[in-house]
Amino acid sequence: MPGLARRRTPSPQWLLLLPALALLTVILLVPLGRSFSQSFGDTGWTLEHYKTLFTDGVTLTVLLRTAMTAAIVTVIALLLGYPYAYLMTRAGPRLRGIMMVVVLVPFWTSVMARNFAWIIILQRNGPVDSFFQLFGLNVVLYESVAGVTVAMSQVLLPFMVLPLFSALSGIDRKLLLAARGLGSHPVVAFWRIYWPLSRGGVVSGLILVFTLSLGFYVTPALVGSPQQSLVAQLLGQRTTQLLDFEGASALGMLVLIVTLVLVAWANRIGGTISAIGVAASAPTKGRP
Amino acid sequence: MAKSTSAVAALGATLALTLLAGCGGGDAAQSGGKITLTFTAYGGAGQDAMIKAYQTPYTATHPDVSFVNTSPPDLAQVKAQVLSKSVKWDVVALAPAAATQNCGKLFEELDMSGVDTKDLIPQTIGKCYVANWINASPIAYRTDAFPDPAKAPKTVQDFFDLQKFPGQRGILSNLQNGILEYPLLADGVDPKSLYPLDIDRALKKLDTIRDKTTFAPNVGALQQAVGANQVDIFILPDSRLVPLMNDGSKITVTWDKTVASLNAFGVPKGTKNKAAVQEFLKTIVTPESVATISELVGTAPVNKAAKPNLSENAKKVQVYGPVNTGETVLQDVDWYAQNFDQATTKVNNWLVR
Repeated sequence: MPGLARRRTPSPQWLLLLPALALLTVILLVPLGRSFSQSFGDTGWTLEHYKTLFTDGVTLTVLLRTAMTAAIVTVIALLLGYPYAYLMTRAGPRLRGIMMVVVLVPFWTSVMARNFAWIIILQRNGPVDSFFQLFGLNVVLYESVAGVTVAMSQVLLPFMVLPLFSALSGIDRKLLLAARGLGSHPVVAFWRIYWPLSRGGVVSGLILVFTLSLGFYVTPALVGSPQQSLVAQLLGQRTTQLLDFEGASALGMLVLIVTLVLVAWANRIGGTISAIGVAASAPTKGRP
Repeated sequence: MAKSTSAVAALGATLALTLLAGCGGGDAAQSGGKITLTFTAYGGAGQDAMIKAYQTPYTATHPDVSFVNTSPPDLAQVKAQVLSKSVKWDVVALAPAAATQNCGKLFEELDMSGVDTKDLIPQTIGKCYVANWINASPIAYRTDAFPDPAKAPKTVQDFFDLQKFPGQRGILSNLQNGILEYPLLADGVDPKSLYPLDIDRALKKLDTIRDKTTFAPNVGALQQAVGANQVDIFILPDSRLVPLMNDGSKITVTWDKTVASLNAFGVPKGTKNKAAVQEFLKTIVTPESVATISELVGTAPVNKAAKPNLSENAKKVQVYGPVNTGETVLQDVDWYAQNFDQATTKVNNWLVR
């Protein structure tokens, strides 16, 4: 009898997945499949659209620029996010609450408002430029890749801090005490005990920030300039200006493949912990 | 236990069904003999003006017609609607070249018989579009960047002369505002033999000012840049110069050679309200509508019989008014219709390289 019940339970529980599956099928899989087939031509079958990506002399430049920007943003987010998440695990409940709110404020603020704020901060004679003018320098980051990088790092920082915090708060600090007690230097204890245990969170943060950076549209479009287009702007141009849905699909597929390859690679480096698994569960665990 | 799991399962299944059902379209364009036209334009003050100048008078005389307003008028959206045979938009604001380029494919061919074309400027009515105003994009500068009128830029050549007139340039990267025409005019091409445009020559000339130029992806961005003193000399449509001047920006227009382009409306192919839309579009080129929209937006009229009562600042940018002592080049709709993709690709590739 109990064995029977156990065998029956899995199937109704699977039904809980139905809403999510239905939603994903309709809003993700079907359009993705259409894009995929469209990238090989609307009527006949052709590789022309993929060939163009590699031969037009522009797509690859922009892809490379996008990947570079995304990599730099990811590193900045890690350098800022790791100490922050670490201090969050050390802070008292009250301070931790405040720190969490500070991280989440960007989530609660309109994307447009944040990006326009960056325009004002980075533009000619804006606060940043005015500051450097004191030293006789002109630093106008508005409409440059550097400006986009700074703005994107701020916008994407929560996606680094939240999975990191979730991973770091799960680390048993007694292990560090034990290491110290056995005569380890604090730096060595951190490097050999704490860092490896936090690696899952680091990898999921890196993957989240990097993949989001690759497809970022609003910040490059507003804070950047057409001269410094990133791949999402190129996609926008192809769909809205040229109505070249096939070319845009091919570009989208290329970006998707590059992203999947990078995620798979990062996942392998991440070791035994499934980065995607941690990433998926982190935001809920991280909430106060 | 068994009860609760089956309840959960039922809930899951119901949610799934609801989600799937929710994706079926709800289509309620017509109700009770009334016709609802979906009007898609650029939003903001411009669309408010269109509502006042075109829609309100029309619904007053045609009580069976009402309007729903949406924005932005994304061409990709039109293509998606037409391809999926679910056309939701009836009127779309666009560049006339876009309508001509996709005439019969994405846009309906229009029958504008009965419209008095005597006073309309050339190209106002096309096979697939009706133009509603002219946007002139003159070269203008911030007066505080060039305070001495004797040393201020005056010609198209001056815009490209970084030695004599240093300062940040501002140009719109889309093709409707003269990004290709001005460099050619500065390079000495006769305004009368501008078309067909020599794109490569234009881009070569743009190379000379590339490093000192802000290329704005849309008018809003350049208007913001001018208002925030980010650019000193720029090419911006008249309808954006007026609000800037109204807000206190000190701007002087150089009237040497000025590029102007038509703005128009098209009708997505497959609309259920084609006849009603055509009747409506006939009314937007009447002297009254044209005068009202010019007064509200500050654009140049497509109907010479229109006598708009313009504000002080609007008079300063009036391309067909007495202030314009230079020459005006109206963009060639047919050339753009035939060469739009090639020109856009070349300009985009030049920009991002």
